[in-house]
Amino acid sequence: MLFNSYLFLFGFLPPVLVGCWALRQKNLRLAFLTVSSWFFYAWWDWRFLPLMLSTTMVDYVAALALDRTDDERRRRLLLIASLSVNLSLLGYFKYAGFFVGSLDGIGRALGAPVQLPELHILLPIGISFYTFNSMSYTIDVFRRRVKPTKHLLEYTTFVALFPHLIAGPIVRFTDLAEQLRRPRPFLTSKAASVGLFFLACGLTKKLLIADQLNPYVDRLFAHSGELGFLTSWAAAFGYSLQLYFDFSGYSDMAVGLAWLIGFRFPQNFNSPFKAQNISDFWRRWHMSLSAWFRDYLFIPLGGSRRGPARTTMNLVLTMFLAGLWHGAAWTFVVWGLFHGVLLGTHGLLRKVGLTTSSVLFNRTVTFLFVVAAFVVFRAPDLGTAGSILSSMLGFGGLDHAAGLHQFLPARFLILLGALLVFVHAAPNTWQVRARPRIAYGLATGTAAAIAIMTIASPHPFIYFQF
Amino acid sequence: MAATSRNRVGSLGAPWIFRRARPRASSEVEKLERPLEPGVASVQATGYAKFVVATVGACLALLAATLTLNVLVDPFAIDGIGLLPTAVEADRSIKLNLIGHLEQSPEIVILGSSRARQAEPSFLTQITGETAFNGAVTGGTAADAWVMARYVTDRFPREPHHYLWFVDAGIATKGINPQLAQDPRAKRYLAGKSVDFTLADVGTYIGPQASLASWRVLEKCVLHACKARLRYLPDGAIARPTLKYLPEHAASLENSVSHLVDAVRRHPPREPNTNPERYRFFERAIAFMNARGIRPVIVLNPIHPRVLAELRRHGFAQRKASLAYLHALHRRYDFVVVDGEDISRWGGSPQEFTNATHVNRLNMRRLLRHIVAHSDGALR
Repeated sequence: MLFNSYLFLFGFLPPVLVGCWALRQKNLRLAFLTVSSWFFYAWWDWRFLPLMLSTTMVDYVAALALDRTDDERRRRLLLIASLSVNLSLLGYFKYAGFFVGSLDGIGRALGAPVQLPELHILLPIGISFYTFNSMSYTIDVFRRRVKPTKHLLEYTTFVALFPHLIAGPIVRFTDLAEQLRRPRPFLTSKAASVGLFFLACGLTKKLLIADQLNPYVDRLFAHSGELGFLTSWAAAFGYSLQLYFDFSGYSDMAVGLAWLIGFRFPQNFNSPFKAQNISDFWRRWHMSLSAWFRDYLFIPLGGSRRGPARTTMNLVLTMFLAGLWHGAAWTFVVWGLFHGVLLGTHGLLRKVGLTTSSVLFNRTVTFLFVVAAFVVFRAPDLGTAGSILSSMLGFGGLDHAAGLHQFLPARFLILLGALLVFVHAAPNTWQVRARPRIAYGLATGTAAAIAIMTIASPHPFIYFQF
Repeated sequence: MAATSRNRVGSLGAPWIFRRARPRASSEVEKLERPLEPGVASVQATGYAKFVVATVGACLALLAATLTLNVLVDPFAIDGIGLLPTAVEADRSIKLNLIGHLEQSPEIVILGSSRARQAEPSFLTQITGETAFNGAVTGGTAADAWVMARYVTDRFPREPHHYLWFVDAGIATKGINPQLAQDPRAKRYLAGKSVDFTLADVGTYIGPQASLASWRVLEKCVLHACKARLRYLPDGAIARPTLKYLPEHAASLENSVSHLVDAVRRHPPREPNTNPERYRFFERAIAFMNARGIRPVIVLNPIHPRVLAELRRHGFAQRKASLAYLHALHRRYDFVVVDGEDISRWGGSPQEFTNATHVNRLNMRRLLRHIVAHSDGALR
């Protein structure tokens, strides 16, 4: 079930809101939210519901067992068991096909083809997100940063809560523990206003911006071999903006829905294209994921405390895995490595004092590198990515008039120009501090209605595939 | 003891995953800040209830107004309210009119959707020597074919007819078009069956396409005069000068194909719903034809090669299911299947399409030749 579907907005959400606030008793409300969220998940494919339930139960039991013992060997074994289950499921469903295919490819390249069966494994939607939610819980309990909950419904609600279940934000138990322990007694008009505001912003970003860019961007990437300098940059800018409005739109919707059912989610995007360096970018883009990788991978690896060489290696390794997290494809691996190298290089340059303080220069350079990296992220294969990147560097020559006419219609150019100005100048959804005036309400409702009208053929969110 | 072992786990000598993170420097703590309260929630103000009412009210009012307008104008002839002419052609009534005015019984009747309306009866006559009539209609379903077959038979009860029935990969679709259901000549064949106005139609009539179509209808019929641009010949063929006005005439075939390929990539068609209700009119029509000693020729509509390649890449479950269904149906009924999906089988050209899903007249002629040659005598 997509957030941007009639079924969700008019069939699922209203009864869930009514049920959620009608049930004042904590257990009943949490049970209702858990079951509603399972229903939401099972609507896509019920066969994968047991998979999520098993992950939930394994981590719930492991966390309780971790808390009960002080025997470090036993605690370590428990953590290993919990992580193994999570990572095995993720590895099997997400990466088995990729590794088998890659082995086959390597074997063929070396002239010794490996006869491996071709795997067609369906990726359970949201597995990367709920697995990471769950893993952060057991690791935090192991580190004694979090007191595990004995209340099963608190935990099932934490894992399954439908606003973040499919594509994040990756919520930590610490973010929700108190909210689950003491659910809000009623929906205030302020919370409803915030929720509706975020939901409307998310719908507008997704349906009126990201989905409108989609056909132009798709066409450009489908004709990667025919692109010249301008059209290749248009493809890169177009996709970067599409991805940002798609995913930040989803995150806004998730935050808005959470407010409407009495929860608060952390910020996931903070005007990432205003970043002044690549580290800054990762503090603004998909913040919940970058914080996850930093806390559970980069810092335990030694972070930046062990000298420049080790820091660079840690960054590259972390970003390599962050890239792989996005998808089982070499394009994501290269995208992650590229960001790792950028982060490492930036760290070294900063250390030797070779960074400039010019905001305009820093923002421009960071933006261009990020945009170029997104070409690799979007491209179906490395060949296509290479072709577009070389055209961006001018190796494809200037565009012919026919190409410009075919790929850059005026509507696309106007949209692109307006959005580039918008992402660099306008405040993001979290920064808006408007007063609740009726006129703003009418404008918000109108924007939401116009967005809803375009739902007739909804596009799934880009991050659903991860 | 426990404290000691905990310290050991937290030491730098332990594998990384077991190390407890050190207390963070203040800069790191700052980085980890993940605010839970957006700016809009930090504003101290009153009037939130009015904001909620205004937001929800404006949204619902706009959606309701759009739905009401489109239901009243009914541009796609879905609800059948009939206050204004529709934006889609009213070709069911036109075709029934033409059948009513036929002086001579057609020996071959062409059935199907808009994909079949490029089939020229005169060309069929040229290659078979038999007279023909094109009864294909926009968005034609099995119910349309059933009504056309029955009406032709009732009009010329003593004459035998051959049927050339073009179907899509899903074979049959459920539902009766309101135009058909409301036509007095069709009503008698549809006894007990009502027009379906489903929730999906509500979605269609909230959408921008419907609103644009309503605007066109209002502009054309209220500000100017209602005038259909499509003209049909007495044998049901489209008059040549109106070919350029066909709704399926894409401005750019390349774009049309790319969009469809992209749509298939994003939403690969699943195996079709095999609910028997879906096939009711299809089977009833074949049974009717067989009862009159006629073997209909079922033609699987051509698919643009790029679209077909994409469908095949995803397994094309719809085709497999449809072929299995037709195979099973062969045990009960007599009919000939001509598979026209792959245009290379009948010498079709990927350039001779009006859009990604409709072949043009030139390709249709090639296909008709192929059909006649492979119809196992069912058209002669």
